[in-house]
Amino acid sequence: MTLLEKSPQAQPQPAGPRPRPRRRSRDIGVVAAVAASVLLVVVGSVYPLAAVLSTALSGPALPRYAEFATSSVDLTILRNTLVLGLLVGGFGTALGFLFAFVQTRLAVPGKRILHVVALVPVVSPPFAVATAAIVLYGRRGAVTHGLLGVDYDIYGLDGLVFVLSLSLFPVAYLGMLGMMRGLDPAMEEAAMNMGASRWQIFRTVQLPLLAPGLAAPFLLLFVEAIADLANPLALGGDYTVLASRAYLAVTGEYDTTSAAVYSLILLVPSVGLYLAQRYWLGRKIRTTITGRPSGSVHLITGWARWPIFGLAVLVALLVVSLYGTVVVGSVTRVFGVDNTVTFEHFREVLLGAGRSALQDTTLLAAVATPIAGVFGLLIAWLVTRHLRRSAGWLDFAGTLGVAVPGTVLGIGYLLAYRPDRYIGDLLVLPGLVGGTAVAGGSLAIVLAYITRSVPAGLRTGGAALTQLHPSLEEASVNLGAGSFRTFRAVVLPLIRPALLTGLSYSFARSMTSISTVILLVTPNTKIITSQILSAANTGRYGVAFAYCTVLTAIVLAGFGLIRLLVGGTVTLYRTAAPAGRKQR
Amino acid sequence: MAPPQHRRVRAVLVLLAATALAAGGCARSDAGNPASAKDSGKVVVACGATEEWCSAMTTRFTKETGIKAEFVRLSSGETVARLQAGKANPEFDVWHGGPADGFVAAGEQGLLDPYVSANAATIPARYKDPTGLWTGVYVGVLGFCNNTKILAEKKVAAPRSWQDLLNPGLAKDVGIAHPSTSGTAYTMLWTQTALHQGADGALDYMKRLHPNVLQYSKSGIAPAQQAARGEVGVGVIFSHDCVATQEQGFKDLSLTFPSEGTGYEVGGVALVHGAHNPSSARRYIDWTLTPAAQEIGPTVKSYQVPTNPQAKLSDKTVDLSQVKLVDYDVAAAGRAKKDLTKRFDAEVAQAPKS
Repeated sequence: MTLLEKSPQAQPQPAGPRPRPRRRSRDIGVVAAVAASVLLVVVGSVYPLAAVLSTALSGPALPRYAEFATSSVDLTILRNTLVLGLLVGGFGTALGFLFAFVQTRLAVPGKRILHVVALVPVVSPPFAVATAAIVLYGRRGAVTHGLLGVDYDIYGLDGLVFVLSLSLFPVAYLGMLGMMRGLDPAMEEAAMNMGASRWQIFRTVQLPLLAPGLAAPFLLLFVEAIADLANPLALGGDYTVLASRAYLAVTGEYDTTSAAVYSLILLVPSVGLYLAQRYWLGRKIRTTITGRPSGSVHLITGWARWPIFGLAVLVALLVVSLYGTVVVGSVTRVFGVDNTVTFEHFREVLLGAGRSALQDTTLLAAVATPIAGVFGLLIAWLVTRHLRRSAGWLDFAGTLGVAVPGTVLGIGYLLAYRPDRYIGDLLVLPGLVGGTAVAGGSLAIVLAYITRSVPAGLRTGGAALTQLHPSLEEASVNLGAGSFRTFRAVVLPLIRPALLTGLSYSFARSMTSISTVILLVTPNTKIITSQILSAANTGRYGVAFAYCTVLTAIVLAGFGLIRLLVGGTVTLYRTAAPAGRKQR
Repeated sequence: MAPPQHRRVRAVLVLLAATALAAGGCARSDAGNPASAKDSGKVVVACGATEEWCSAMTTRFTKETGIKAEFVRLSSGETVARLQAGKANPEFDVWHGGPADGFVAAGEQGLLDPYVSANAATIPARYKDPTGLWTGVYVGVLGFCNNTKILAEKKVAAPRSWQDLLNPGLAKDVGIAHPSTSGTAYTMLWTQTALHQGADGALDYMKRLHPNVLQYSKSGIAPAQQAARGEVGVGVIFSHDCVATQEQGFKDLSLTFPSEGTGYEVGGVALVHGAHNPSSARRYIDWTLTPAAQEIGPTVKSYQVPTNPQAKLSDKTVDLSQVKLVDYDVAAAGRAKKDLTKRFDAEVAQAPKS
């Protein structure tokens, strides 16, 4: 059964058309979950952000706002940022949708290969793509200059959109894949039985059902694009955005005040869009999963599948060419100049200076991943099911980890957790950041990983939960199960694809995160991404490429392990795999 | 009426907020109190040079003195930001490498402690601060790193003066870093200030150069890579970075110097204010000024000129007597840095290119 209704459950409104039975007041599971979630978001993002805000709203910062509003330079930067966010959000979501559509609705060969290709960008630092793009498609690019003989200038907005869309679209793809596989095919079957064409079905059934799912990735890509730092620095040309300007203020001008001001201004569009999306989502909630999807998917077999498939293949080829360059570049002396094969770079990464960085980063990310994945879903569940007025706040606080530019969060950590905290003469909280801190500063890094990863699980979990009708949980509660047991035994298995996505993404994000941890790296805790930046800055691209290759391998191994542990395969491939069609 | 559960949730929220506020209110800010000045027999270095160089330096220091040495590679902007954040409880003992302008800026904020090493006596006066705030360990000279292949294609001769760099034939073919992040680029900006007798003249020159600049990169070394890969025809960088890039296998690179006179950096070493290991830090500083320590650079492709006259020169190191240098006032450059970079960013970097 599929229900379409005006529903209040995702919104903190006190009264709905059909009041839900309230949970018993002494539901200890929910209270504990709320406490843990609140503690995490307060420690991970709210408090560090408050530290930044208190700097941004202090006396000396105030004249900067007037300056910003009247400076044409600053206003151009703001416009640049918004344009970049919109374009990357649009293109990235479109690409993600394209790949998810091909995966779930087209009868074409090689879908598993496409799936793997679409996952690759998740697992490598965006810096790799930018460099490879310059090497291949830049002014002297092997493809643009060498093969086609054109003088294409990749620096600027077009290059940024190209690189960012290709690096970020897997986020949209993974989210929409889970959702499209969860879509109940019964609606499509019904439309088909009534004689609707494929296009009509797409326009009037699938698209409206997926609309909330399209908004979430768009939001995520928008905020990620405007917060991205590595790419504007690598190939922005004279296209300046707020994030790179704030970074410049910190690293170049030692001016945390200006950086905080720019960050505040950067927060406005993210938060504005976020609230707009919430309002829009809240007006129409569509629940399509009422248990297991019934019926089976009818894959498109007509001629129309080929142009769509061709487009996806073209994008996949672009991705492959970029990452191929990374891999090939890691075993050549200087790619494009001196193409002698060498394993020097790998020796340095695996046996030399890079080894401790590999160990440290993997360990810290492995600690952070399960915590982030579970908390992402937990917060999503609390927000959509259990909290009312405070739901919006918790959801918002959980999203901060991604809405706040990583550099700013890093500065917040420095301000908030750097000093030892005393009450009187009693040491209550020793410093968490820096070489002199507890555990060599690794606690702060893990905390940063978790905070930056939770929103992924929260978004995918939230999207999955809005499609899951609460009656299932109500049934469980009415039968006497506690809220926590309901979460574990009913909710989790049904949104397992979202959990898989959340965990995978958390691990990849932790391993490849740079903007926050770059400020937290200490002498005794080395992080791969900061090693990559260092190698790239000194022009040792071969070493940087080797790091990227090893990093990608570790993340892919992590994906495999997570898949094995969560057991996502069954759910993920149930509806679209050829085997599913034979069951009829 | 909120159900009891929500009251409890709210209580939890209030409690957490109160804890956070209470903890936030009492950070200790007694920087560098004598009690913390116990030395634990190791030294933590904020290192501003290449990873390889930092690694080679600290390893050798440990081998020779038995004192454990750890380092983090940071650009000079980042170093100052982290020293600022850690003022009350610094994680570094020594700052080693990076243009002295940055050291002057950090000294102005009280982030460094003066230390006159006994070994500094052999260092020429123009390469050290008279009060011992910083001491020079190497010198680097600005030059033009040219991709001869690209320049031949564009039919432009390799630039030999700052004026040559304005050649319209080099449109979007010059690589420079942003002076806010890069010490290299700031050295260039201050060089123009010295050549044009003031900030206005310097910014005017940069404005005229602007149409020729591809992008203002973050790192001062990046233009060498851009030139090496043919993204630009000319990179304005420290000559030792150009030589190191040539060494990586880029045979098309050539190096020229501006005839009007060029700027130079003095790479410094300094004691961090309130360092946890002050005596080890002083030993480290002493050691960096010895000829042996200054001869390590060339073994890891860092061809800066040593400040210690007794240190042997590599044949790849630029000969300072062959290059015309401008009168570079490090102290004035450091003091002017904030305002000048700000003006550069507003008046030059954001301007549209016609």
